[in-house]
Amino acid sequence: MKVIAFLNNKGGVGKTTCSRTMAEYLSRTRKMPTLAIDFDPQCNFSHQYLKMEIDPAAPEGLMPPIHPDYSPDNPDDEDWDGRSSIAEIFYGQGVIPYPTYIEHLDLAPGHAEKLLAAESVRKSEVVEKVHKQLTNFLNSPDVQATYKAVVIDTAPSKGPLTVSVIKAATHIVIPSVMEEQPVQGIYGMLQLWMQESLAREKNRPLKLIGILPNMFKQTRLHKDILKSLQDNSAISKYIMPVKLSQRIVFAEIDSEDANPHSIFDFHESHVAKQEALEVCDFISERIFNDE
Amino acid sequence: MSKRKRFGVSQALTRGLSETIHVVENNAGVFRNVVLPLSRVELDPDNPRKLSITLDDMRHGLDKNDGLYQRKSEELEKLKELANTIETSGVINPVVVYKRGEVYRVVAGERRCLASILAGKQEIDARVFNEKPKGFELKLIQWIENTAREDLTLEERIGNIRDIISEYQNQHGKTALSATLIKNITGLSLPQATYYIAVLNAPHDVKMIIENGQVRSLDKAAVLATIESDEIRREAIKACIEGSSLKDLRKIIAREKLHSKNEKTEKAERKRGRVVSRVNMGFTLNPTVVQTIVHSVLNQAEYRKFSDIFSKVDWSHFDQTARAFRKLIEILEQDVR
Repeated sequence: MKVIAFLNNKGGVGKTTCSRTMAEYLSRTRKMPTLAIDFDPQCNFSHQYLKMEIDPAAPEGLMPPIHPDYSPDNPDDEDWDGRSSIAEIFYGQGVIPYPTYIEHLDLAPGHAEKLLAAESVRKSEVVEKVHKQLTNFLNSPDVQATYKAVVIDTAPSKGPLTVSVIKAATHIVIPSVMEEQPVQGIYGMLQLWMQESLAREKNRPLKLIGILPNMFKQTRLHKDILKSLQDNSAISKYIMPVKLSQRIVFAEIDSEDANPHSIFDFHESHVAKQEALEVCDFISERIFNDE
Repeated sequence: MSKRKRFGVSQALTRGLSETIHVVENNAGVFRNVVLPLSRVELDPDNPRKLSITLDDMRHGLDKNDGLYQRKSEELEKLKELANTIETSGVINPVVVYKRGEVYRVVAGERRCLASILAGKQEIDARVFNEKPKGFELKLIQWIENTAREDLTLEERIGNIRDIISEYQNQHGKTALSATLIKNITGLSLPQATYYIAVLNAPHDVKMIIENGQVRSLDKAAVLATIESDEIRREAIKACIEGSSLKDLRKIIAREKLHSKNEKTEKAERKRGRVVSRVNMGFTLNPTVVQTIVHSVLNQAEYRKFSDIFSKVDWSHFDQTARAFRKLIEILEQDVR
């Protein structure tokens, strides 16, 4: 089972769009049993596949809807409130992924309040526990047996949530807009990659697939910044040779009643779909043909 | 019209990015530096440095009924000085540990850990190996760490070398023990390595005085260890305990050698036959004898300048030793009138 995470501590660089595209690519195009995990308290990734609900206990945050398998009359479900988010791993509860409208794709949605609680942990022993939880969950025999791929969307932070994703991942991609501030975010992520790489045993390295130029515009700013990264021999190895351009279609398919609802629903010749396929082919090639 | 602005990533950021990448590419999976809770640290019972004081003693205080109470309280006194500096300026060099389940075992830095607890610290800077270093590397790290310390006894130092050699042989198979081998694995100088070989093979009486601390210097012990005659060795040991210098010890040996040589020469003169016109230097099965002679000569001020010529000689090698000896005679024949 491969675990791929999209990371950048700068917000708005397209982590969620990338996660979504990759998850749909693996499940639809590659027919691979895939688990999507939303580790961002904003829960935007979850909202693509589930009608997330306002949490009455934390009105600013979202929580997952009632799970389709939940039946209050079943004595087995007696201790369950019917909702299950990925944040349950921090509370000793089981995580029950939700099916999505896409075959082969399941979702472990976010839960704003619970994820924020884990993110705000500062006490060193507790932080260490938070760091390990996602790895423990993904290593459980059930998860290992059910899925071939896991795609994780992360919060724009360098806190305990992001660290736990880095610890659980086998591969990471850093999407970035080619502008000064998001590129600084790359630096933050490379630091985490470094810390984790130094801590891991040699036989299970954390592979950095690379920096994905995202929301790319053919402007001098974007081209110059991309070029200055490519000009440095150390960095250029990690600049992916594919990119996603700035396109309104990614925003359009996000809305709830959009039709088509996925970039892969478009015709083969659609330029955005072609670009998305190129990026996903590249990433998937690096992950699955790299044994 | 003005030139169009060019954009780029700042130099500082480019540098940060490429440096980070280099660190990962060069060091992934080897070690990292962290701040470690002292509660998760344990000492290595196999560390050649034999401190009797334990982490529990530091955490809970010494027990008066403990058989080692006296020794431990002396060690505690010594640790207090280090604890004082740690209290004010922290531990300057990180200790070296490796992960062992939930705890971290100290490879190097026992005293710093103990003193940090004494100083009331909760954490310590550490360099963490992800895997247990192999036996030989582990011993080598401990050895390097220990050689830098002055308060090791000669016996502890010899014990270190013995452990390193046996770990080396465990890993590389039984190899013939030579000074060059010791030099190569420990980085000691060749004369030092030769001394260690001599003391490792020391006769019982020399081992005894090393053990009880009556001889503390390696070169004295090595000189004593190479004396073959029990009688002379007893005399030299006695002189050594009474505080004779290395030079004095060498004189005792030299006098004895001279004495036995003279006896033989006299006997020869009484023999019939051809007139003896030169001295036959004889032979020995123990190259260390020749080495001792060469070093004794080189130790005299006027011959020190020739030391370089002999620095590369492998004294475990008969050929090289014989050649070195002839060279020494050549030098002396030119010099001594």
